[in-house]
Amino acid sequence: MEALELYTVDERDDLYTEELKLNLGPQHPSTHGVLRVELKMDGEIITASRCDIGYLHRCAEKIGENVSYLQFTPYTDRMDYLAACNNELAWSLAVEKLLGVEAPERAQWLRVIVCELNRIASHLIAFGTYGIDMGANTPFFYAFREREAVMALLERPSGARMLYNYVRPGGVAHDIDESWLSDVLAFCGEFEKRWAEYNQLLTTNRIFIGRTANVGVLPRDMALAWGCTGPVLRGSGVKWDLRRDVPYLWPYDEIEFDVPVGEGTHGTLGDCWDRYWVRMREMMESIRIIRQACARVPSGDFMDKAMVRMYKSPLKPGKGEVYMRCENPRGELGFYIVSDGGTSPLRCRARGPSFCNLSVLDALLPGCMIADGVAVIGSLDIVLGEVDR
Amino acid sequence: MEALIGFFGDKLHVSGTLALSLAYATCIGSLLGFVTVYAMFAIWMERKVAAHMQVRYGPMETGGWHGWSQSIADAVKLLFKEDLLPRDANQVLFWIAPAIVFCGVFAGLVAVPFAVGVQIADVHLGLFLILSLAAVEVVGVIMAGWASNSKYALFGAVREAAQVVSYEVPAAVALLVPVLVVGSFRLGDFNAWQEEHGWLVFHNPFVVVSALIFFIASLAGCKRAPFDLPEAESELVSGFHTEYSGMRFSFFFLEEYVSMFVSSLLVATLFFGGWTLPFLNVSAMPAPVGLVVLLAKTFFFIFVQMWLRWTLPRLRVDQVMAMGFKYLLPWGFVCVVATAVFEAQGWRWLPV
Repeated sequence: MEALELYTVDERDDLYTEELKLNLGPQHPSTHGVLRVELKMDGEIITASRCDIGYLHRCAEKIGENVSYLQFTPYTDRMDYLAACNNELAWSLAVEKLLGVEAPERAQWLRVIVCELNRIASHLIAFGTYGIDMGANTPFFYAFREREAVMALLERPSGARMLYNYVRPGGVAHDIDESWLSDVLAFCGEFEKRWAEYNQLLTTNRIFIGRTANVGVLPRDMALAWGCTGPVLRGSGVKWDLRRDVPYLWPYDEIEFDVPVGEGTHGTLGDCWDRYWVRMREMMESIRIIRQACARVPSGDFMDKAMVRMYKSPLKPGKGEVYMRCENPRGELGFYIVSDGGTSPLRCRARGPSFCNLSVLDALLPGCMIADGVAVIGSLDIVLGEVDR
Repeated sequence: MEALIGFFGDKLHVSGTLALSLAYATCIGSLLGFVTVYAMFAIWMERKVAAHMQVRYGPMETGGWHGWSQSIADAVKLLFKEDLLPRDANQVLFWIAPAIVFCGVFAGLVAVPFAVGVQIADVHLGLFLILSLAAVEVVGVIMAGWASNSKYALFGAVREAAQVVSYEVPAAVALLVPVLVVGSFRLGDFNAWQEEHGWLVFHNPFVVVSALIFFIASLAGCKRAPFDLPEAESELVSGFHTEYSGMRFSFFFLEEYVSMFVSSLLVATLFFGGWTLPFLNVSAMPAPVGLVVLLAKTFFFIFVQMWLRWTLPRLRVDQVMAMGFKYLLPWGFVCVVATAVFEAQGWRWLPV
């Protein structure tokens, strides 16, 4: 070792090897946004990595302390912009808890449907972009075709295609039209066929399995210790889903659905393929949930009457603090609100699933090849809008 | 070639060096023209094939009918783009690399028989020549990656270097099988032999395997998916040509499509009868018929290459090497030995 340290450049032979520092991002095709990972490379093998985040920091939490409770709802859309409904839901539930209001029954069921639709749309992006990460470009277009159908469905009640601002404290913003539920059910039938196609195209592909099985293995204990949630945690075999374990919307209690977990089908438990397959099966579970929910949407108000009156002036909850968490497509999204009785929160803090799941990346990458690194980043399915907030 | 020299001698009353240079110029010019037109068509075709596999239309506007002139428009755009040389790049190598890459593959076309009598140079070791000229391309790729002074480009270049050893050997071994059967390296002989004895793939089962091995290895040779590691968009941005733009970049692009053409043409010529067709004596017909038949077969294999590219994910670098050395190469040897035995015994798969 000592001799190595004494070595100077001049004394070296013409041929020598050294470690290479590689910046993966912030502009890189497969960092899923503006993530920068500093990699130390020994040839193709990663020896150390360090995530550098913050390129998309937009002071979301600070904004929350400066706008009213209702005004912050659309800002939550822009955190995890692929799962806007789910973000709104977490925020709305937190505010409702602070106010002591509960959304009417119809709104509860509608929330379940839109959130599950949004979960499908979000997992479709995860599926499609993961294909691109692996060098298969075609699944992406298939995924976008179905995502387009979901966006068209969500556009009808909300008026927006991506950032819906639909779920609000007290209920949902607008009622659905007459044929919406039947159209949702028609989509479910169509989607099941497409889902089988995806599996033929990508999931069961030998090269794809070879690229993802036994890669980026996240053992169960490690996943728990690093605070991973969502499909990343379930991919490691932990059966933990807030919808089942802490039903934040009571309809989830009355619906039958499974929580898919990784089984190490093609390799080790908790590898990239397991995380991917959990997401794929979750889409099917969402379809199951939507089917049951569509059959049970009652008539009635879509927004709490007391809340409508409250909306005439900025909301003013009493002093107190709440923490509310929801199962987002990427894991647990929690909002922690401290109210001093004013019109905007004293403290508004978000616990983002992408941020916590990303933290495990530096521990997973060393030892991987650079192509595996891309597979690992993709399998964590991060949204930088929510990592950086 | 001789025909051309004679033609110039008769019509223009020139002889010796002048006639020879005129003939050379005509050959190279026509080949270059053909390659350019072919590449534009192939790029348009690739975009259309990809689009239709991906439930979309691809180019539809430029030129009117199904965006037929999209590639021409792109080429014009690339021609007019600023010629960028990165400040810290090795200027000479950076400048010369695209030329080397393109010339290597392009020169291989010289020895290709397109139809009866349509061949620039009837080289005795034609197959050898094409393979070795195609290997020159690798030098250019490594030059480009090294000269770019970019880590991503360097990774691409090193991957190409690692990849070349794992596919060139199986490809060459697989090509020994038809050579063994026909007993010649001259490409024209393959056509003649298959005209007489039927397509080589139907000769014995091991020729089929060697055809597969060569096709897979040639995918890697063209840097096509699932072996597009040197470019590997999702990992290395654009790999070895990350720093290239404008016309220089287009030479890499052109090279990719020309090498697709050459390898598909080799598959068609060596294994699938070249310009011959079953039950028809194409060699006796006018040359354009043979040309059309050969091009149709070539484009079929080009289509298969596109089909695979838009279907399969990419292999990892160690998986490519494992595939080359653990599967393709041993099977290639098995094919050579088995075919030798078949030939010695006079066995056939089908009675021909």
